[in-house]
Formats: sequence, structure tokens, C-alpha cells
Amino acid sequence: MTLMPAFRLHRPDTLAEAVAALAETPGGKPLAGGTDLLVNIRRGMADPPALVDLTNVGGLDDLVVSEAGLRLGATVTLAHIAEDEGIRAGWPALAAAAEAVAGPTHREAATLAGNLCQETRCIFVNQSEWWRAGNGFCLKIEGDVCHVVKKSLRCYAVYAGDVAPVLMVLGAEAEILGPAGTRRLALASFFHEEGRSHLALAPGEIVTAVHVPPPNGAVAGYAKVRVREAIDFPLAGVAVALRREGDRLASVTVALTGVASAPVLVPGLDRLAGTTWSEDSAKTLTDAVRKSCNAVKTTVTTPNYRRRVAAASAVRLAGDLWAAAGEGNAS
Amino acid sequence: MTTLVRPPRIGTKTPLVDGIEKVTGRAKFTADLPAADALVGKILRSPVAHGLLRSVDTSAAERLPGVVAVVTGDDCAVPFGVLPIARTEYPLAREKVRYRGEPVAAVAAVDEETALEALKLIVLEIEPLPVYVDPAKARAADAVLLHDNKPNNIERAVHSAFGDLEAGLAAADLVRKRRFSFAEVNHAHLEPNATLAEYDPERGWLTLHSTTQVPYYVHLTVAQCLEMDTSRVRVIKPFLGGGFGARTEALGFEVIAALLARKAGGTVRLLLSREETFLCHRGRPQADIVLELGMMRDGRLTACVAECTQRGGAYAGYGIITILYAGALLHGLYDIPAIKYDGWRVYTNTPPCGAMRGHGTVDMRAAFEALLDEMAEELGLDPFEVRRRNLLTAPTTTLMAQKVMSYGLGECLDRVEQASGWKERRKSMPPGRGLGLACSHFVSGTSTPKHWTGEPHAVINLKLDFDGGVTVLTGASDIGQGSSTIAAQVVGEVLGCDLGRIRVVSTDSALTPKDNGSYSSRVTFMVGNAAIAAAETLKRILVEAAAKKLEAAPEDIECGDEVFRVVHAQEPGQDSGLSFGDVVREALIDTGTITVKGTFTCPKEFQGDKAIRGSAIGASMGFSYAAQVAEVSVDPVTAKVTVHKVWVAADVGRALNPLAVEGQVQGAVWMGLGQALSEETRFDDGRGLATNLLDYRVPTMAESPDVAVFIVESIDPNGPFGAKEASEGALAGAVGAVMNAVAAATGVRPTATPLTPDRVADLMDAKERQAAAKGSTP
Repeated sequence: MTLMPAFRLHRPDTLAEAVAALAETPGGKPLAGGTDLLVNIRRGMADPPALVDLTNVGGLDDLVVSEAGLRLGATVTLAHIAEDEGIRAGWPALAAAAEAVAGPTHREAATLAGNLCQETRCIFVNQSEWWRAGNGFCLKIEGDVCHVVKKSLRCYAVYAGDVAPVLMVLGAEAEILGPAGTRRLALASFFHEEGRSHLALAPGEIVTAVHVPPPNGAVAGYAKVRVREAIDFPLAGVAVALRREGDRLASVTVALTGVASAPVLVPGLDRLAGTTWSEDSAKTLTDAVRKSCNAVKTTVTTPNYRRRVAAASAVRLAGDLWAAAGEGNAS
Repeated sequence: MTTLVRPPRIGTKTPLVDGIEKVTGRAKFTADLPAADALVGKILRSPVAHGLLRSVDTSAAERLPGVVAVVTGDDCAVPFGVLPIARTEYPLAREKVRYRGEPVAAVAAVDEETALEALKLIVLEIEPLPVYVDPAKARAADAVLLHDNKPNNIERAVHSAFGDLEAGLAAADLVRKRRFSFAEVNHAHLEPNATLAEYDPERGWLTLHSTTQVPYYVHLTVAQCLEMDTSRVRVIKPFLGGGFGARTEALGFEVIAALLARKAGGTVRLLLSREETFLCHRGRPQADIVLELGMMRDGRLTACVAECTQRGGAYAGYGIITILYAGALLHGLYDIPAIKYDGWRVYTNTPPCGAMRGHGTVDMRAAFEALLDEMAEELGLDPFEVRRRNLLTAPTTTLMAQKVMSYGLGECLDRVEQASGWKERRKSMPPGRGLGLACSHFVSGTSTPKHWTGEPHAVINLKLDFDGGVTVLTGASDIGQGSSTIAAQVVGEVLGCDLGRIRVVSTDSALTPKDNGSYSSRVTFMVGNAAIAAAETLKRILVEAAAKKLEAAPEDIECGDEVFRVVHAQEPGQDSGLSFGDVVREALIDTGTITVKGTFTCPKEFQGDKAIRGSAIGASMGFSYAAQVAEVSVDPVTAKVTVHKVWVAADVGRALNPLAVEGQVQGAVWMGLGQALSEETRFDDGRGLATNLLDYRVPTMAESPDVAVFIVESIDPNGPFGAKEASEGALAGAVGAVMNAVAAATGVRPTATPLTPDRVADLMDAKERQAAAKGSTP
């Protein structure tokens, strides 16, 4: 086990104190479950001067289901989301995505905001310090080259969170608190496609909650492709939400994870609205998904497979949801 | 020896004697051992995969306060290696580095922070050389040699041919030749490598606690490398968190810990990280196999031509044995009249390979079973039938002089055919789902020890004292496989006493008799036989004491269930016999504490044939057999393979502990499934990419199907109570069975492992392209 570097630990009781603590130590990081952050710190991938432990902040792990939708506090655990009856009934895709993360012990500790804000990953980054030093480091941390895309000026480390794409297709918003106060931001605008700076959070800002609107007749699902059914990050993850009206597709939204440096809301699907789900729709979806994938050699599994399987999984999931929505109409 | 005491101590499900410590967390593993004043050891490893080591400047590290000792290649000029003919490795590199991660220097400091700081102060000057990961590139005419005395970087070439090959191929109705590639795999034992080294400078004594399967080899190697007299070294193996072959040779870190402790004049705790444990490697090498079989229309095999190239890594380790095994175990499973084998073990700039469960046979066996299946299909034969057509009849001697004394493969086939519902279910599987069969076998101990000393293969001491307790003293390394339990059961069976009376003390060179170690599945067979011999001797002493006390002849005394009595006592009820304690007290009169010894030596005729080169490898007194059926499905969208169930029948001779046998067979199958489905080391220009448990994908509970075990008992004439090995034989079959099941599910025959989704997707695509091409040409 590698030693933790020295840092100052704050354990505030209120959000105001938490934000103040972060503001006073630039580079400080909020800490909750620690399943991502502490591993990275131990590997020498981060050296924050301060950690602000949020687990003592009252009410931050509240989970409220109401007619207005869902309000999930930042430190609600993934296990809680996966098991909550209200979420399983109203937003089953969200429960499924939470349940697809890592293993049971991780989910007991890991939190929603931690999962959303997790670091991007790359086979050339998520290695020990000795390993990275011997490889001359890289763009993401301490170095100035990219080992994945030679001569690249941007970092291609991949975003591998499972929950974000589902929240995107459900139309969720993040509630953010910072020195300048509170703001709300659609999940679709929360990420940047850059491996080093993939979060739209200003210094000192933290996510305090996520709001999910009522399903409003939409059905949604999440398909995670991975080699092992536990532990593994997604090689590709696909979230689909669609609304079916009789034999017509009223709307469909698709978001991807594991295939770019940010979760991607797939553009160009508007033209499917009003059509009946068919092989042509599948073709349209396939093309749109493949275009949205920016998979490069950041994992031991080939980018080609990840692109293909993202598209094929999207088509299967959309078809299944279309069929399920049809059965719902019939009954 | 089939009459057992009542109730029998063997053949009944017996919880492991050290299980309570493990499940309660009380067991102390090497890293847990209390050593409050221990210095912290850390190793500096080469960041370069191949290069000339120009200098190692440790001066700044040595000046750092808190650093007590720094060692480099200059501190040890004695190379080591498990095979006396291939000592190629230094604990710390000298002159050259040959893989990325090779130890170059090490420090002992007062704490971890200081030790890590010291490593950063060591300056290496390494002149890079070309890096060879691909064995073909390492073999190129102009390739730089890793070891100067090995042209073309070939560590060992093996060529053997038996029987009339040309006639066999000419007579065959069908001849097929296929190329296979099996990825390198690692044991991924859960306990990382660790050594606690204590040096007593006043006495010049060194005590090591280490994570090893072979404390005896560690003892020899450390004494050699430190140029110490072996009597000044003591090696203890505490509880061990798995081995699977990773620890069947002394490893560099053990010598490094000893070097540091001696230089520091104190105690050093050296704990390797998961990454470092992966870098020690010694796993199953990547193997390229070309296999050609000849078959008659009825399924009878006529000839086998096999080639195997193994990417051995940077140092010899067990490499010569591995490349020999791959050929030797082409023999002994089926009756094949002609076999030719050519093998090449190649040095590459990757961490050294070594022995891994199913040593040498696994990849070759998987290839064989895959090709056998393909040819059976082509001839319209059922996979079971084609295997039955080629069964051996025991006793028999193979072309390579292996003596097969017991052979339960036929029964294994029957059991899994029935249990899996093969006949009814095979043809009615839904699309994307299939059943696959494969067989495999393994040795019960290699007959020739690596270090020839003339000593017996195994020695057991028993101590019986005033308290009536029997202490079994054994050097056998219990690495989780249950060897201490076997020793207790065997002794209990012979003495007819309660297992609660028996304590096992193991693997402390100061207390227990030397044992070669836990490798090649030798322990149950060899140590079990030695334990029987020791217990028989002790029993004779007790019977004589009982006879004296009962005023009867020793041959008229029977003992069982803790009671010694006269056989056929005149009036039942009159002779209640003597209790175990009574007999012990009688036996101790005039002699005091009793210690006896039992040994086992493998007879010459089981050690191969001197006239056949290489036949010492693969020679064994007993061969275990296994047949298994795997049921898999392949997802049409993701191409992911899911194993739903495995039915495995294992001929283990006699199951001394059916509980442990079941666990070991399941473990072997599961390990094979990992290799078949997802496990694979990866290198990028010599950089290990998967030196962690996230990217090195050992199956999780979610990928672990029900493995139904059927025990077949062929009662081997040489095994202890008829037992053979039970831990390795079933592994290779799991790989072959999954390959064949995937073929049944998809209609395409895999020729490479692991069958990860991306690989299977490529296979399915190729099939579609082929079908499309066929469709377009009328």
C-alpha cells in the first residue's frame, strides 16, 4: 500500500463552511465516498493540499421523491439509489445505472456527486507513479505528451461514469454551490469533452444536488458493456429515453459514456421523432451513435469494438424500450 | 490398502484443519507478522525494458537520514534460478536490465516515507537496447541477445518424435492443421508477495518468513546468493494467500529482503505492491501453437504433430520445464500411435514466466481439444464418441515412458455426458447457446526433483508424547490446497485416532523435515505416502505396547476408533480393550517421547526412460484425469461469452478429502474459465498495461457459474489409499470446453484466448463476411 501524501482535512458541518474551506485552499477537493479520489491520490495522480470531507454536512444525503420529481443530495450513495423503491418505480434506468457501478462495497461508499464528477481514465494514466514516470508522464498529469494520440494537444482520457448518461437523457439538472452562490445547470451542459478539464465547475464550486424531472411518459434504460459484470468501468455505456405515442416515436434521446472524455448526448436524433421504429431508425441511430463516439486507445479493449458495441447496444436498447412502451400502451 | 478404519478419517468431507484461523481472520500472513522495529524495505525497478546498466548512483540515498541500508547489483554476484542448469537471474540487475520492472536497487529505511524518498534519490544510467515483446522479433537473425550464450534468444529448443508419423498421417482419413494463440496469464494470487527478513548480526543467523510454496528452495537460494552456510538460515512459511505456481521458485525479492536485513544488521519488512507482484510474474507464457492431427473416419487418432513457441520473458525460471511439459503431456491422455513435438522457449523483454497451475500442458491441451472437436464435427462424430475411441487401457506405458497405472477418463466422460444432458440437449440449444466438451490430465508429482540429492522425495516426522497428542511435523507447504489436512487425515486413518488428537506443524526449517515444496501436485501423493509410512511405524510401536499390556501377540491386536483390543476376544464384553491414552502411557515406558519418521521415494521405473531425452519431465507415478462440459451463450450484440454452468468429472484416484477435492476441482475449472474468458497480461513496448486487478480481468463472482463436480475414484495402486492429484488436472479442460462451447454457440471456431467480447466480435464478423461472400457467388 502506498502512503497517502500529506494534506489538510476539513470536516465541515455546513455547506457554507465546505465552500469556504475549498475557497481558502485552491486545489482542494471535496471528499465523500473516496472510491475514486483516494485511489488516485494513492497512485500519485493527485496531490490536493486539502480535502473537504462532506459526510458530516447534514441533509446532503437526502433523497426526496415528489410530484416535482426527484431531488438527490450530493452524498446519496449509489447503493441507496439502486435500492430506493421510489427510484426503482419511477426512474428504473437510474437505479440500474447506479447498480451497474463497480461492486457492492464500492456502491455502499460511493456517492452520486462523486460518481458524476469522477476523473477521466486512461490506460496510460491510471497506473502507479513509477509506471508513469518511466513513461515520461503525459498531458493529463505532469507531462506534455499524449501516448494515445501522438502529438495531440488535448487529453483523450475517457469519461467512464455510468450514472451521468442516464441523468442526461432524463433531463436532470445539477445544483451547484460556489463562492458566488447557487446555480442550476442541465447535466447536458455539465461536461466538456477534454480529459483534463471535463467538468464545468468553477474553482471552489461543488455539486450539492441533482434534480430529475418526472418521467412524463418516457421510458428509459441503460446498457453497460463490459468484460466483467462487476468491478469494470464501461467499455461503452448507453442510456436511452424514449416516448412512444401509439405507433409513433414522440421523442428519443440517447447519451453515451465510456467513448469520449465526457458523457455525450447524441445529436441528430430529432428526425426520428414522428416515425415508427424500424430498421431505418436503427440505421439512423447507429450512424448517429458512431459519429458521437470519440473512442481512442485509452483502454485495453479496441476503440473499434467500443464504437461498434455502443451503436449496437443503443439499437437493441431503443428497440426493447419501444417494444416495452408498446406493451404499456396496449394494457 | 482399501480397508478403512470406522469411521474413516479419509474419504469423508473434512473441514480444513487451518480453516478456523482463516475464516475468523486470526491467521497471520507474512505482512501481518508483528515486528515492531522492522525497517521498511523498498525496491527500485528499471523503467527500461532492455538496456545496458551503466551506473547506479546511490550516494544521495545513502546520505538521506533514516536510510539504514542500500543494496544494488554490486551486493550480490551470485545468480539464481530454480533449475541448477539455468541460473540466469540476479536479485538486483548487474550490467543489464532485461524487463521493465526488474529490480535495480533496494533500500531499508526507518519508515515508508523515507524509503520512498530514498528511491527517488537513486540515479540510474541505462543505455537502451531494442525491446522484444514478440518472440518472432526476438528470434530474428539481427536481434540483440538478451543472454549472450543463447543464440537467436532461444532459451531451449525441444524436438521429439515417437512412432511412425508418416504412416500415421498417410493412413488418416482426415488431416487438419490449425494455428492457435493463447495469451499470457498470471496467477493473480490474492496475497501480494512479502518477506520479513531478520538478521542476527551477533550470531550471523538469518530468519526469513516469506510468501512461498517452496521454503526449501528459498532456503537454498538465499544461502547461495548471500554466500551463507545453510545452517545459519531458517525459513518459515506462514499462512499463505494462494500460490498457483507463482511461488514455486525462490524469487528475487526474497533474496533482496535478506540482503537488506544483513546489510542493515536487523529486521526488514519488504511488502510488494500489487503491481510489483504482477511484475514478479512467473505466469503461463503466451504460446503460439501449430497443431496437426490425423484421424480415421471412426475418430481414431493416427498421428499428432505439434509445435509450440512460448514467450518466456527475460529469465529462465522454470522455462525449460514448461516447454518440455507442453510436449510431454501430449502423451498419457489418449492413445496416439505417433507424436512429434517441436518447442521453442524464447527470451523476451517481459517479466519472466514460470510455472502456473497445469504447468505447460494447458495451452497445448486446449488447442488439441479444440482441433479434436473440429475434426469430429467434420466427420459427423459426437465429441464424446471421438474421445472414447481414443481411450487408453491402464496399466500402460506411453511412448514417452510415462506409466499410467490408473485411468478413470472413460467414467469421467460417462458422468458429465449424463449430468449435462448432452445427448438430449446438445442439438436443441437455442441460437447463441452451446455445449462444449474437453478432457485433460496432469501428473501427481514430478518423479525427479529439481535438485538431485539422493534424498527421499518426502519425509514426515511424527511426535507422540505423554499427553497422547500426535504432532505431525511436515515441510509440506499448505498454500490453501489443504495439504496439512491431508497429512492429519492420513495419520488419523492409519492410527485410528481422532483428528482432534493430531496437530500439524508445518514449514519451519528449524522444526520440520525438509520438503521440496508444493508444486507439480506432488504433496498428497508423495507426502501422503510418507505420512502413511510414518504412521504405520508409530502404529507398530503402539500395537506392540498394547500387546504387551494385553498379554497377546502383536498380530492379534486390532486398533480402530481409539481402542486397541485383541482380535476375536473370547467373550465379548470381557475385553473392552485399551484406550489410546492407556496404550500411549504403556509405549512411553522406558523410552519417553516417541518420534518416528516415514519417507517416500519414487521408484526408478517411474522416473522416465534414460534413453528418451526429456522424459524425466512428465514422468509421474499417477496421472489424474478430467472431463468437462461447459454451457455458454454468446450475446449477439456485445459478443460477450457467458458461461452458465460447468459439469466436471475428475478422476482423483481416491478423494481423501472430498470437500477439499470439490473445492480444488472448482478452483481449477474457475481458473481455466478466467484464462478462457478474460485474463490476459498486456504489454505496450515492454510496459505492462494490466499490472493491476482492474485491467487484469480475473472473473468476479458474477462470472463464476455453478461448477458441478463429480468425483471418479480409480484407486491408483501407488497413491496413498489410492489417491492422485486433484488440483490441476481439470484446468486445461475448462479452456478447451469453453472454446468448443463457443464454437457450438456461434458456428465459428475460436483459435485464440481469452475470448473477450472484442475478439469474439471479430470472429463473428469474419463469419458474416465469409457468409456474405459465399452468398454473393452463386
